[in-house]
Amino acid sequence: MSIDPTRYAELFRTESREQLIVINRALLALEQGGDAAEPLSIIFRAMHTVKGMSASMGYNALAEFAHEVESALDRVRRGDQQPGPDMMDALFASADALEAGLEAATEGARQSPAMAAALERLLAVAGERAPGGPSGGELPAAGYSEAAAVVQLPAADPLGGPGVIVRVRQSAGTLLPGVRAFLAVEKVRTLGEVGAVWPPIEVLQTSESPQSFAIRVSTLASAREIEAAVRSAGDVEHVEVDMAARTRRERPIALDAAAERAEPAPVGGKVTRHVRMDLARLDTLMNLVGELVITRGRLLQLTADHGKGPLDDAMQQAARLIGDLQSEIMTSRMVPVWQVFDRFPRLVRDASRQLGKDVVFVVEGKDIELDRSLLDEVGEPVVHLLRNAVDHGIEAPAERTAAGKPRAGRLVLSAARDRAAILIRVSDDGRGIDRARVLERAKASGLVDGSAMELDDEDLLRCIAQPGFSTAHAVSDLSGRGVGLDAVQAKARMLGGSVTLKSVEGEGTAFTMRVPATLAIVRALLARSGHERYALPLTHVRETIEFGEHTVQRVRGREVLVLRDEVLPLLYLRDVVRQGGAADAQREIVVIERGEKRSGLVVDELIGQLDVVVKPFDAAREGLALFSGATILADGAPALIMDLGSLFGGV
Amino acid sequence: MVGDILQQAGFEVVGEAETGTQAVEKYKQLRPDLVTMDIVMPDMGGIEAVREITKFDPGAKVLMCSAMGQQALVVEAIQAGAKDFVVKPFQPSRVLEAVQRVLG
Repeated sequence: MSIDPTRYAELFRTESREQLIVINRALLALEQGGDAAEPLSIIFRAMHTVKGMSASMGYNALAEFAHEVESALDRVRRGDQQPGPDMMDALFASADALEAGLEAATEGARQSPAMAAALERLLAVAGERAPGGPSGGELPAAGYSEAAAVVQLPAADPLGGPGVIVRVRQSAGTLLPGVRAFLAVEKVRTLGEVGAVWPPIEVLQTSESPQSFAIRVSTLASAREIEAAVRSAGDVEHVEVDMAARTRRERPIALDAAAERAEPAPVGGKVTRHVRMDLARLDTLMNLVGELVITRGRLLQLTADHGKGPLDDAMQQAARLIGDLQSEIMTSRMVPVWQVFDRFPRLVRDASRQLGKDVVFVVEGKDIELDRSLLDEVGEPVVHLLRNAVDHGIEAPAERTAAGKPRAGRLVLSAARDRAAILIRVSDDGRGIDRARVLERAKASGLVDGSAMELDDEDLLRCIAQPGFSTAHAVSDLSGRGVGLDAVQAKARMLGGSVTLKSVEGEGTAFTMRVPATLAIVRALLARSGHERYALPLTHVRETIEFGEHTVQRVRGREVLVLRDEVLPLLYLRDVVRQGGAADAQREIVVIERGEKRSGLVVDELIGQLDVVVKPFDAAREGLALFSGATILADGAPALIMDLGSLFGGV
Repeated sequence: MVGDILQQAGFEVVGEAETGTQAVEKYKQLRPDLVTMDIVMPDMGGIEAVREITKFDPGAKVLMCSAMGQQALVVEAIQAGAKDFVVKPFQPSRVLEAVQRVLG
């Protein structure tokens, strides 16, 4: 009896996608060489899990495919060789076919041509089909039914009889696994009479990799005690104690139930419990908290003005609680970047092979956390930058060796925290950007003044990001480099951030995207200019300074900011927003920055630092390019949030 | 080697033995909380030594140190009374985990 696929389709999709990520990761590790046993083991288990899930859903074609891949992997495993490039390609193709097959299956397709093709390819490299259909292999998988992936044991059920069934799965990379299994059986023996062990104990003792085994034991011990005993043997990943089998007789046993319901191994030895949640719900929570924070501000204001004694105390407490709630919700929205970055190694690998480049891809800062919604948005631009780097940044191997560089190019994707912002950088050690050519072209198309002698990084970016700039150029080393960069910049701006470029000819190029760590609530300075207040997100704020004779000087009639050793241009906020009128006598300066450029922004007063709930504008509005959104302040009045990056001109 | 790992973790190494016979002798003298034992040793081998030690003290805690490919021997050692095992080359974390398990 099959379970109703429609009810579980979504869950199946999510779970199987997770397995695919695991598979891809392991395939990449396998390809890089070193110990093949562990990655193979991981892929094997993941395939097995997918097989079981597919069978439960009634997706038989998928289950069979997974089974074939599993068998092929088993042969590779036992062949004890390092898989060669043909094998790797076949395996990658299988993973992709599986992905395609999963999609097709959930949409009701019965077969998937991709799977048939991939299977042929795999069998060509890995040997014959699994003998006699979905059977054979190391574990006694005699066949599986339509419904659940119940592995039926040979006719005379060796584990038949009364007793508790204990299913054990060992950790990947267990040394002398047969002995561990033996030890586990011995430990269980101390609790009662061991009726039988499958695979038989003699097989276990000499086996190279049983991975999972089952014990039937007559005991009065509790499930917890049994589990503890098994785990005391060491290297145990998963234990399942089936107490219900105590009185059951002559029933086929799902030997690998433990393997099917695999839980991801705890990271760093710490076991964390997880719950699945609809993303939309998290967004709703965030919105509600955002509104709550605004209301809190207003209540605090009102209490300050009108409150007394007990009301004041209660308000203070409520304010604290709301603050905590906000913290928790924001934290729960934070997600490590590797969740999105995880698919990039595969991407880079495919792109390099496709383009004939040799690339070493490094990811740094995997644990840096970003707000979930930001992470989703950041993925696309990063993919673009990565492809761009492989395509146009890194030279072909021959060119590199001729230039005295190592044959393989180095591509680094890094995430780092810088105060209230996150920096995501894609850097390569490729050929760099030919500034002279860009300058030439820029002059020709009027992007740059005819008299300019050279381009700084800022202008370089501006030029190559111009749509049509790069593609029109005939010379290959420029073509394509800037394609799509305008989209990347637009995305960064939309998120309240910016993009900067650094490039050295012959040495390499780095694109850096700077985004706020959280999207919905941003830390900002509240500044006053005249009667208006503006929020200046800290993402692009470096520091604040007093306006005085030591900091501000006149040079050729213009005011400039003298900041330690630097002389920076000075901008008046009231001029920027076209307020008119004269500035207050007392002023303050906010030092803002974008990439390497810095400026001083003069405001009448800095009211304070606060968390600002960002309400983005619904649509792009002319003349409001300076602002990225609005917010409601503590006293209920609205304030515009400035897009500080735009103050540096030229997008 | 194993001794170094244990010492660094704060355990005190109270004695060492070159042969199985010495091991049994020293166990009787020193009554350590834990013994780590190689399988292959001159004179009396590791398995025999475990048997003797366990006969003398049924509560003895012996951790076998083996090399890869010594499955059958390790199984024999466990049947002779060893409580757990570690495999060379030793990974400090694995050794310490095993020690924790044995000491309970």
